[in-house]
Amino acid sequence: MTGPAIRVHDLVRDFRNVRALDHVTMDVPPGIVFGFLGPNGAGKTTLIRVLLGLAKPTSGYVEVLGRNPAREGDAVRASTGALLEHHGLYERLSARQNLEFFARIWRMPRHTRDTRIHELLSRFGLWERREEVVGTWSRGMKQRLAVARAVLHRPPLVFLDEPTAGLDPVASASLREELARLASDEGVTVFLTTHNLAEAERLCALVGVVRRGMLTGFGTPDALRMGRHSGAILVTASAGVTDALIEALGMVEGVALATRAGGDLRIEVRNGVTTPDLVRWLAAQGVDIEEVRPERATFEEAFLSLVDPASGTTQ
Amino acid sequence: MIRDTWTVAHKEWMEILDQFMRFRRGGWSILLVVFFLGIFVPLQLGPGWANFAVMFFYWPFLTSSMTSTIVSDSVAGERERHTLETLLSTRLSDASILLGKVLAAVLYGYAFALSNLAIGMITVHVRYGDRAESMSAERFFALLALLGASAFFVAGLGVLVSLRAATVRQAQQLFGVILLVATMLPFGLTQVLPTEMRERLAAATSDLGIEGIAWWTSAACAALAVVLLTVAIRRFRRGDVDLG
Ligand SMILES: Nc1ncnc2c1ncn2[C@@H]1O[C@H](COP(=O)(O)OP(=O)(O)OP(=O)(O)O)[C@@H](O)[C@H]1O
Ligand SMILES: [Mg+2]
Repeated sequence: MTGPAIRVHDLVRDFRNVRALDHVTMDVPPGIVFGFLGPNGAGKTTLIRVLLGLAKPTSGYVEVLGRNPAREGDAVRASTGALLEHHGLYERLSARQNLEFFARIWRMPRHTRDTRIHELLSRFGLWERREEVVGTWSRGMKQRLAVARAVLHRPPLVFLDEPTAGLDPVASASLREELARLASDEGVTVFLTTHNLAEAERLCALVGVVRRGMLTGFGTPDALRMGRHSGAILVTASAGVTDALIEALGMVEGVALATRAGGDLRIEVRNGVTTPDLVRWLAAQGVDIEEVRPERATFEEAFLSLVDPASGTTQ
Repeated sequence: MIRDTWTVAHKEWMEILDQFMRFRRGGWSILLVVFFLGIFVPLQLGPGWANFAVMFFYWPFLTSSMTSTIVSDSVAGERERHTLETLLSTRLSDASILLGKVLAAVLYGYAFALSNLAIGMITVHVRYGDRAESMSAERFFALLALLGASAFFVAGLGVLVSLRAATVRQAQQLFGVILLVATMLPFGLTQVLPTEMRERLAAATSDLGIEGIAWWTSAACAALAVVLLTVAIRRFRRGDVDLG
């Protein structure tokens, strides 16, 4: 396939008195893990619904694998897999029965079905418990089974709405590994939402940040951090940085905190004091300054500034 | 389409079977019904059990009530248990999802009635030996037709009612009222007819015989079922369905 896996153009989706998606435009290229981030109620789940043809756009259009889900929903759904807001497992059936039902839906031939189910249940550590009724399982186990179900038929595009919610750290790490492998080895496009920023930063080649239905950031996690700084200043010096100096620096009007950070001097400033002021002060104390630069924002800080303009970071 | 319908019906069956195995939610009460209708009633009615006209009332009623509980559980239940949206996110068509559920419920009601009939036959034969009457083929097929058609009608009605219900409970309550009205309506109507017309109707029905009435009723139920299912499928569209 050429062209983006997902194209969203000027998409608006209204519910009675809420605008869940507000003129969203973006393209997601194929074969990557894409993270869609945003606070509760920002519109993430709604976008997944629109992309699967389960909700219609109020205006604008979307294209999934080159098709319009509002008109060719069956074709879109035939080549996607999904874990939605609810895990959607049949709790009265066993894990194996759940996967078998979906394998039948996807019309997998019997032998492929059995090997694939065995492969996935083993990989997700559920094989031993395959005959148990899912209703008795823990939340994380259900979640793992639901992810297995989403990728069962090897779709080229998977939607995962908060796939690591409820997973323990080991299980989330192994799921992340699995998702990264799907994208890199099998060329699968993974569209996921998450509230775990560290996860998004590590896993996603591209992220979109949405706030009250509006796309406020889009790019690689690095690019989103770039151009934003945390408000702290890093000073590299070849001589003169002593413990006494750091203590004295902490007392200077307008300095919130002074510490060593990885061989550098890290200074958090309040409003009012400028970088030239600090440089002059340091030079006067006999510090040999090699380099002065603003500290780059962490991904979390960048995210916060995208969803809450009042937060600390500056452009 | 047929294969997908069957896939959905198969899943419903697995869920029903599971309930049975665990005797959850009415598992026991079903055994009670089997005992009552398959053993107790035949023994009460005696060797002529198979040919009592009342068979044409309570068997369709039984089949329909079995069908109705299954249909509301499987349609409204998918929404209540939050599995509907995931099901809708697959390649299955709207129609195959609904028809699969209808098929599962109808087959269930049918299988239940038939196995009870068989148990009844055996009971009567074991108890009365050669004195036990058997049912004529004509009567048997008329009864089968009536069972099937009434189950389909009820399933169609059940789907339509359950489609908008948020919970199984809500669906079953509404459905119970509608069913009551639907079964009372024909009797109520004959009461308000002028005496002359009533006599003519009685003459016509006695001409038809119980089998004839059963066939006509079956045809009417089947036609209504087709209408109800068409309406249900029309109303059940992705993008329009409230996912709760
Ligand atoms: N079916 C609906 N009817 C009415 N309003 C809805 C419906 N679905 C979503 N909304 C509204 O649309 C907005 C976006 O909801 P959505 O579920 O997409 O958020 P989200 O980003 O997935 O949030 P979360 O992180 O909590 O899952 C919310 O204000 C929500 O109340
Ligand atoms: Mg959500």
